[in-house]
Amino acid sequence: MSNIDVVLSEIIRNRLVAATEEMAKTLIRTAYNPLLYEVQDFAITIMSADGDIWAETPGVIVFSQGFPDAVRAGIRRWDGRFEEGDVLIVNDPFETGTHISDTNVYMPTFYNGRLIAFCGTAAHWADIGGKNPGGWCPDTTDMFQEGMCFQHQKIVAAGKKNEALWDFISANVRVPVIVKGDLEAQIAACRQGVARVQALCSKYGPNVVKSSMEHVIHETDIAMRKEIAKLPAGEYGASIRLDSDGVDPDGEFLVCLKVTVKNDRIHFSLDGSSPTAKGPINLPAPCTRGILASSVKGLLLPFDPCNAGHAKCLDFELPPATIINPTRPAPTDSYGYIVECLMELMFRCFANVIPEHCPAGGYQLTGGFITRTQGEFGKPFVMTDPVHGGNGATHDSDGPTNQLVGNGDLPSNPVEVMETRHPVLVTRLEFAPEMGGSGKFRGGKGVRKDYRFLEDGCYVALVTENTSDVTAKGINGGGNGLPGYFVFNPGAPNEKVYSKRVASVGPFPKGTVLRAITGGGGGWGSALERDPQMILADIRNGFLDPATAKAVCNIAVFEENGEWVIDHEQTQKLRAA
Amino acid sequence: MTMQSQTQYRVAVDVGGTFIDFVLMDEETGAIRIEKVPSISDQLPGQFLKGLTAFGVSIDAVRHIFHGMTVAVNALIQERGARVGLITTKGFRDVLEMGRGGRKPVYDFVQKSPRPLVERYLRREVTERTSFKGDVLEPIDLKEVDDEVDYLLSKGTEAIAITFLHAYAHPSHEIAARDRILARYPHLPISLSHEIAAEWREYERTSTTVLNAFIQPTVKGYLDNLQQKLTDAGYIRPIAIMQSSGGVADVETAGKKPIRTLMSGPAGGVIGAKFLCSHLGYKNVICTDVGGTSYDVAIIEDGRILERSQTEIARRPVLGSLIDVISIGAGGGSIAWLDHRSGLQVGPQSAGASPGPVCFGRGGVEPTTTDAHLVLGRLDPDYFLGGRIKLDLAGARKAIEDRIATPLGISLETAAHGIVVIAETNMANAIRTKTVERGLDPREFVKLAYGGGGGLFACSVAEELEVPRVIVPVAPANFSAWGILTSDYVDDEVRTKVLSFDIQHIGETLPVLNELSERAVNAVAGYGFKREDIVLLRRLDLRFENQEYTITVDLEPDWMDAKTVLVGASDKFVSAHHRLYGHGDPAANLEQVSIRCRAIGRVRAPEIAKLSRPTKVATPKSRMVYFQSMGGAVATAIIERETIAPGHKLQGPAIVDEWTMTTVVPPGWNCLCDEYGNLILEPSGQ
Repeated sequence: MSNIDVVLSEIIRNRLVAATEEMAKTLIRTAYNPLLYEVQDFAITIMSADGDIWAETPGVIVFSQGFPDAVRAGIRRWDGRFEEGDVLIVNDPFETGTHISDTNVYMPTFYNGRLIAFCGTAAHWADIGGKNPGGWCPDTTDMFQEGMCFQHQKIVAAGKKNEALWDFISANVRVPVIVKGDLEAQIAACRQGVARVQALCSKYGPNVVKSSMEHVIHETDIAMRKEIAKLPAGEYGASIRLDSDGVDPDGEFLVCLKVTVKNDRIHFSLDGSSPTAKGPINLPAPCTRGILASSVKGLLLPFDPCNAGHAKCLDFELPPATIINPTRPAPTDSYGYIVECLMELMFRCFANVIPEHCPAGGYQLTGGFITRTQGEFGKPFVMTDPVHGGNGATHDSDGPTNQLVGNGDLPSNPVEVMETRHPVLVTRLEFAPEMGGSGKFRGGKGVRKDYRFLEDGCYVALVTENTSDVTAKGINGGGNGLPGYFVFNPGAPNEKVYSKRVASVGPFPKGTVLRAITGGGGGWGSALERDPQMILADIRNGFLDPATAKAVCNIAVFEENGEWVIDHEQTQKLRAA
Repeated sequence: MTMQSQTQYRVAVDVGGTFIDFVLMDEETGAIRIEKVPSISDQLPGQFLKGLTAFGVSIDAVRHIFHGMTVAVNALIQERGARVGLITTKGFRDVLEMGRGGRKPVYDFVQKSPRPLVERYLRREVTERTSFKGDVLEPIDLKEVDDEVDYLLSKGTEAIAITFLHAYAHPSHEIAARDRILARYPHLPISLSHEIAAEWREYERTSTTVLNAFIQPTVKGYLDNLQQKLTDAGYIRPIAIMQSSGGVADVETAGKKPIRTLMSGPAGGVIGAKFLCSHLGYKNVICTDVGGTSYDVAIIEDGRILERSQTEIARRPVLGSLIDVISIGAGGGSIAWLDHRSGLQVGPQSAGASPGPVCFGRGGVEPTTTDAHLVLGRLDPDYFLGGRIKLDLAGARKAIEDRIATPLGISLETAAHGIVVIAETNMANAIRTKTVERGLDPREFVKLAYGGGGGLFACSVAEELEVPRVIVPVAPANFSAWGILTSDYVDDEVRTKVLSFDIQHIGETLPVLNELSERAVNAVAGYGFKREDIVLLRRLDLRFENQEYTITVDLEPDWMDAKTVLVGASDKFVSAHHRLYGHGDPAANLEQVSIRCRAIGRVRAPEIAKLSRPTKVATPKSRMVYFQSMGGAVATAIIERETIAPGHKLQGPAIVDEWTMTTVVPPGWNCLCDEYGNLILEPSGQ
């Protein structure tokens, strides 16, 4: 520590975090694709010349945790032969860890001819070729069906655009203008990062920047170990079963997690997880490690700006050729279900160990994709609309209704914006309180969203998972959240309910109504312990009906002058029984 | 406004947390007098009058009162407002509570959402629906409006907010609902979303409308009371209320749209900065206001104050034009602490006024930036606030030693210097987000430092950003109040209308531009201005087709027809996109999103008084002050500001002390007093 200026290292750390925030703003403000500017399905990372994370600004946290693996693969591929002004592109799922639509664009950052760092952005592209528009294929059987694959090609070489590659991309995606707009946005963000890192080097010297960040990572590692040492040593385990891989009706899709806390390290074993699935729900190893590392960081040091030091004390044992460590060219396009599952398994392991940072279970990804690829009924479009749902309750409050459970900051699409862009009318957007698990603190409410199609020829893909073995498990006696489902034309004679994932249905005529109901979160503690004043508020606000209050919470209420009050006599009887 | 022979005055009244600041200005000479009375939250109108009469001038000589108030923002932050009932389109009452579903601190898995200001049973739906094109898909059911309002009133509702989908562009249903309600309850306060914020995104608009309804009765009650008190005292001239946009409105408008006055406080300083700096000939200014708990930064670029169109108060979004002020937790009371990595941090927690820094001796135990400055010798323990507070140097040294220096294994001076440098880095980062991130180069700016702590940090933060010049104005601690005196009457009108920005569609834009211009001009004309004296600014929010975020471009006054607007605005947009993001295809299709018009009624600009030669004679004084660049503490000249004559130049290291502020002139800097008494600080050798 004697050689390190502790004040200066703090300054350099803050500067790098600020640089990633700047990069993120540039990406959001210039991107062409709503998944980036509205839903923030991206991440920004600045890494050392060896690929250690120095700073990040995540929309989706799992992206940046996988970035070091991708960059290290690039270093190997080029044997370090980078030039100033190079911009590289990689989306090979076995190097980035997610799916082929998530494209990492990064720049080696030089100072006085010496490689100092990498500045990178990972972003979900509007299209990547492949069999399904917009990605997220539900039924591929290898990665070649999912889209074109980049492996660290130079999209810009030494400052010069690689026009052949740009042309090639244009020729292989369905929406070239949007894809190229996003690619420009990613490059603009990287360039900004490079300029910031170079400015730091010119002010303090590249060696000081490097040694300062090594110091910060070292101190972060010590802080993590301190937190881990406070946890009760032992083994924690949980497992979850997925409904389907979209391809193999007889397959079993089990994810098993065993967490061993010993001294100041954590060991993860995923032994017992199912073999590689035939369909695209597999999660490549970088992302399996990444989401577990992100979860531990969030549970132990949630407000720390993230760097490589947060994952140094973790060991992983990922059995090969399994659903959480598949081998190329296994399909991975719907990787996100297992990401959510792994995070939920972590919550189950630690809910009663670190209740102040750990919620009960939350909803699994739910949403409808409404698309029209043929031009005969009007302009083709792809509308991706992930809908928020119930998150788990915590030890001291009801669960919120957010987009995703733990994996990032993803705001939903405003109705007024969506209706302006696509031929749909949203006729209802409201809570579905019945979806949340009961409890002393209730699970987050689901959401009911009705879309009416205003034009003919629309197809629908329905996204849902874990409808049998739910992610939204209650804790300490709290009820489970219910899984999401879909209804076409609710209340009409041709009403049809879908509770499982569907690759594509349609075409639907104009006037069709699609109702999406997202899942609720798990509750915390027994409903019998819920504060009667909170139950009255639930009833007053239509989140709970008196009959359910009686059946689930053993509380009797009646209405007096338009206000709900507790029937103490009845309640006493109910509770005595 | 005509002049009479009697001396005429203009008065600014700026309400802060602890004091109400008054500035009385002679309209003719610009000479000012300052007054302060305690700010007692439940007696503000009375205190207002008390401070006003303390000047001892005839009320008849006061031509204009300008008022910066905190009533609105306090009501919001403390969540003390009216019981609001919300009426929405059928199917959408939960939008307010649902929000957008994001989670900013991404690793915090247990973050709680803010409580909805309107409980669900007070959120009522009525049958009605308009499409984004303005087609009425379902007519409004006015009988339902009656029933729902009766229900809400039976539940004790005191104010009504109405938000219907797509009303930002097609407000007829909101208007019909309001007319119906007012016909039955003529005095019920009603906030309509299209009047409060005519911009799309239903959650953000609903939030803004509800917040307006929530604070309206409180703010209107305060303003009515104030006006009555002033009328009783014989004052019947205009009372101008500062808005977040930096312009003033009359009492009636402020009472109807109090949400526009949220940033009434910080706006004054920025407006003053623009006025002073344009007088001094500076077009690019970084405005920094250092208080006890916060550091507020705003930017003036090419003579224009940078604004934004959305902000958040207590995690609830608010739409509407406001001066883009970034506020970080770094001020005189900001606490220094070690995090779990033994990393030195400063703020955002503050010791505030109570207990305050350790050296105030009021029971504070955690070291603050003020303690660090004291330890470094930059503050005089016997002359803080003109000697009103005697500072406890030993206490400050012990706190920094015990809590920072010893655990880190560094010397006391290194620790104290570290605290100051960390705070300065946070300040510099805040400035960077508003300059460098927007493609602006701080080296092309001057920095204006005001607020009680401005002079301590001014030069070192400037050095970090390579800002070549720092200005410390006269009476820097009261600069915000002075600034209010320089503001003009402003009305902003905006409408979201998403269209391709091309020759086929420009015909739809021009009528809206004209309508909004007309409306803004009428509003300002309503304050008593002649139409020909009103200045009009027209702006368009543009983007590349398929992008979401926009850049606001100003239309030049002589761009009136389709072609000039189209070509001029497109060029401006593409070059701004290039400047901000490094790329931009001039041939790509553009889209417009919002149309903005601002009318300005200019109030006669105040004079800036020249500094007369000081009557007080300087006594040579010096003290040991720590400067890292000098390798430790060095003998440093201490100069009382009252003794500095215009044209006088000081060489750093030096300390300039005045009643409410201390300015550090670091080694390698010099300090010139200009003809108005402003201190102009620059690195030597320039």
